[in-house]
Amino acid sequence: MRGLIVGLFIVMCIAQLAVPGKMIWDRENIVSSGTPYKFRTQPIDPSDPFRGKYITLNFLADYGYDTGEWSSGESVNVVFETDSAGYAKVNRLTRDEPDGPYLRTTIYYIDSDSIVHFTIPFDRFYMEESKALPAEQYYNQSTRDSASVCYGLVRIGRGQAVITDVFINERSIVDLVRGANDGN
Amino acid sequence: MSKHLLRALPELVAAGIIDNETAERIRLHYEQKDGASSNRLFIVFGILGALLVGLGIVLILAHNWDDLSRITKVVIGLIPLLVGQVLTGWLILKPIEDRAWREGVGAFLFCAIGVSIAIVSQAYNMGGSLADFLLTWTVLSVPIIYVLGSGIVVMLCLGGATWYACELSYFSYLGTDAAPMYWVLLATIVPYYYRAFLLPQRKNNFYVLISWMFVISLSICLATVAENTGRLFMIAYMSMYSLFVMAGESDMFKTGRVLSNSFLVVGSLGVISILLIASFTDFWEWESTPDGTAYKLIGMAVIAGVALLAVVVLFRQFQSKGWGGMNTKAFSFLFFIAIYFIAVQTPLAGAWLINFCVLALAIYTIRSGARQNHLGILNYGLLIITALIVCRFFDTDLSFVLRGLLFIVVGIGFFAANYYMIKQRRARS
Repeated sequence: MRGLIVGLFIVMCIAQLAVPGKMIWDRENIVSSGTPYKFRTQPIDPSDPFRGKYITLNFLADYGYDTGEWSSGESVNVVFETDSAGYAKVNRLTRDEPDGPYLRTTIYYIDSDSIVHFTIPFDRFYMEESKALPAEQYYNQSTRDSASVCYGLVRIGRGQAVITDVFINERSIVDLVRGANDGN
Repeated sequence: MSKHLLRALPELVAAGIIDNETAERIRLHYEQKDGASSNRLFIVFGILGALLVGLGIVLILAHNWDDLSRITKVVIGLIPLLVGQVLTGWLILKPIEDRAWREGVGAFLFCAIGVSIAIVSQAYNMGGSLADFLLTWTVLSVPIIYVLGSGIVVMLCLGGATWYACELSYFSYLGTDAAPMYWVLLATIVPYYYRAFLLPQRKNNFYVLISWMFVISLSICLATVAENTGRLFMIAYMSMYSLFVMAGESDMFKTGRVLSNSFLVVGSLGVISILLIASFTDFWEWESTPDGTAYKLIGMAVIAGVALLAVVVLFRQFQSKGWGGMNTKAFSFLFFIAIYFIAVQTPLAGAWLINFCVLALAIYTIRSGARQNHLGILNYGLLIITALIVCRFFDTDLSFVLRGLLFIVVGIGFFAANYYMIKQRRARS
């Protein structure tokens, strides 16, 4: 019986370390070698009871045109490309595993005009608790200027993606809020 | 009380009421009892301490320190997990059987797992719903139950599994997702509950608390598989509560006190609540048109499964106990199913039959309370009648005079029944 418990203990420890370990390993790989894309976005400020404050990002490139037979909840591989302004846009949606970087996600819903909306799994950007709300306010102020642009820098690997920073007019939102706080 | 008695011991010995040997045995008895109670306190404070420290770490790391690099954050976040694992290893390899240590370390390791997943999510800005987070946390924590034999971790896992199911089925944007992993988690926890408490008949505080969480969790989460079956799913709930009543009356789950018998209390309250809801004609007139196909099948299978299980258990309990030994509420689901099919055709007849059932159950409860000389049970029966009258108060088809008279009659009933029972008790003593 004791042997069984010790065995279970070892398996438990490995599993408890392996889950965060695998998460770290996968993301570190993407951060170091994933292809960077700029996703145009809008930030808002919610909160998670365990993981703290974050800004939710509403990405504009969350749909593609495809006449294929897709259904809600189905898995899809999305290949992105860069538009003339340098921002990410959907190149194609596919069920097969494409060459190069792609995002594996699920179909959210399909418009009647063959517009396929999919979920964006990197829609959270965690910030220090005192900075999430000012970040949103800063964004709102900046959007009064129509030339202002907000985008998330996302690195995409083979199926997974990591958002590494959010920029407003080419300045990191973390630095902007820090600068505003220091100024106070 | 014990201090008074211990102080009076020399006087009792001097007066020749008890001898020295008996006095010594009484002293020893209370010394042991005090020891057990201080150990219990130590367990409670051990758990509280570990939970507070663990949750404190969760909150501190949820601040999302900007000045720390990604790797530093992740390493700091994994330290509590490693500390928890080392302490667990020490407890089982040594081995140390002390409950306070095992419960405290279990609670700490549970929190540390949450911290480790949360910090990685923060550091890499990972999306994912709160339901996914709670599921991963609970799945990784279930083995602690078996490794440390920790009661508090059973409770935390039950809480985590329930929250996960609620997040997915009730709190999510569309709120229509079933939570199959809830049932898997429950299936991994039940064997421990059976082996640690039911099999050795260990009815300690953890048994009582876990049982309460268990029945409440099931009451909340059964509806997660009800999608599209509409009113028909009430049969599943009724069968489950009847099963709870049967379990509460069985030797396996029975406890000395009514309040510690969660199966009986929740089962009985559940049966009465559903019957009271169904006693309104509106309930049966409400057009419940189930739609969908695949998901409805799951709901129908659950209804049939729970009802069938209730029939089997009822049959077995009836065989061993007979009419006299059975709690009438155990039969409620059979009456409810029979009335259901009448009521969907003629709602008024169904509602009347349900009213009659509630009244019969109330009278049975009052009779049972009087026979057992139990004021609580007697008043519970009277409360059922009161609740029934309050429900009828909202129906407009009874005249105000009649409703007023009913209230007066029940009020007098309360007074008379209690007075009679207390008087009888005095006469006996």
